Amino acid sequence: MLLINNLSFFRDTKLIFENINISLVNGQITQIRGKNGSGKTTFLKVILNILISKSGEVFWEGKNISKNIFNFYNQITFISDHNTSSRKLTVIDNINFWKGLSSSKISDEDIFLLLETFNLKKYINTEIMYLSAGEIKKLELLRLILEKRKLWILDEPYNHLDNLSIEILNQTFVDHTNNNGIVLFASHYTPPIAKLDILDFN
Amino acid sequence: MIFIKKIFLLFRRELKLSYTNIVDLFSNILFFFLSIFIFVFALGTDEQLLRTIGLGIIWSLLLLSSTLSLRKFYEEDFNNGVLIIMHMRGMSYELIVLLKILSHFLFVQVPFLISIPLASILFNLSMYEVYNLMVTFVIGSLILSCLGSMSASMNLLNKANFSIGGIIVLLFSIPIIIFSVGINEAGSDFMSLINILIGIALIFLGISPWASATFIRLAIKNT
Repeated sequence: MLLINNLSFFRDTKLIFENINISLVNGQITQIRGKNGSGKTTFLKVILNILISKSGEVFWEGKNISKNIFNFYNQITFISDHNTSSRKLTVIDNINFWKGLSSSKISDEDIFLLLETFNLKKYINTEIMYLSAGEIKKLELLRLILEKRKLWILDEPYNHLDNLSIEILNQTFVDHTNNNGIVLFASHYTPPIAKLDILDFN
Repeated sequence: MIFIKKIFLLFRRELKLSYTNIVDLFSNILFFFLSIFIFVFALGTDEQLLRTIGLGIIWSLLLLSSTLSLRKFYEEDFNNGVLIIMHMRGMSYELIVLLKILSHFLFVQVPFLISIPLASILFNLSMYEVYNLMVTFVIGSLILSCLGSMSASMNLLNKANFSIGGIIVLLFSIPIIIFSVGINEAGSDFMSLINILIGIALIFLGISPWASATFIRLAIKNT
């Protein structure tokens, strides 16, 4: 469970958001909604301790994350709005790198199956720079399955995706929360998920 | 064990990336040779003159051409967020920097070594001088990698002024030039100068992971 207590953030002297109190319990999907520049990405970065807030705390499983940061990092998968795959490497090289980095136990057959579902299998030996934006995004989202962590934090996961991929992604979210996982994402698009909680930033 | 696996994983990725960027390496070597040709054309074909100043010229041009590639040290990994993800998977920024420095040394600077004997032919250098040049360049290029890491991490958020990174590297590489070129006239002091160079290399290898990691943290906080 992730507990955010009285969190405020100032960039220099400019207030981005203040006094946010939410708790994310196991099996909850939360969307952060807000117009451009309302501080959605900044909020995610503060939760991840990439940006450090002077007031307020974030607790993960009852422990303050700033004191147990690697414990916290070990339980999350963060998909940023940038494409973290290297443009010069092939699809399979990137997947192997992510797999090794998170010491994932997933088998090669499972990876092929995942690539098949996302319609990426034909590009397995293609460099990332020749893929379209949507295909790169799908590859990024594969990390959710590869890493098998409890808390998923995503920034704009629906960008560039087609309708079929959006459906698959929603189903993945629901499956993950049914297994006691937690999903937190920032997006303009509101997906048709029944048990969606919304944190409004406007 | 997992930790060592991760280190090798990072090295494999760097090797693959530098293999795809091999054109960069070739163009640096080409730059090096072309500037040597320009020097030779400018100075004329006086064999004795070229021989006396050859070593100094080769070392200065080596410095200049290896600063060309330093800008890309962290740029890509920083812009697409790989540094943050690697940090989240349990690697400190200091370790990432150290591995980057070593991989830059192994995959960019060491291949540069093959161009040195070829360049020495153009200046008619003796075997003894070529040997000195190779030994000093191996140590000096490690120092250059450390300096490059620092200057590249300082300039992560600087998108306009590209030459400032090169200025920082050149400023701090003056001691390398002094000791590396001075080694020819050293005679019996040969080992002491080598030891000084190794000392400088170790100092920079000790400082640069912490310095670069601090700069990277600052840059990540300010994006």
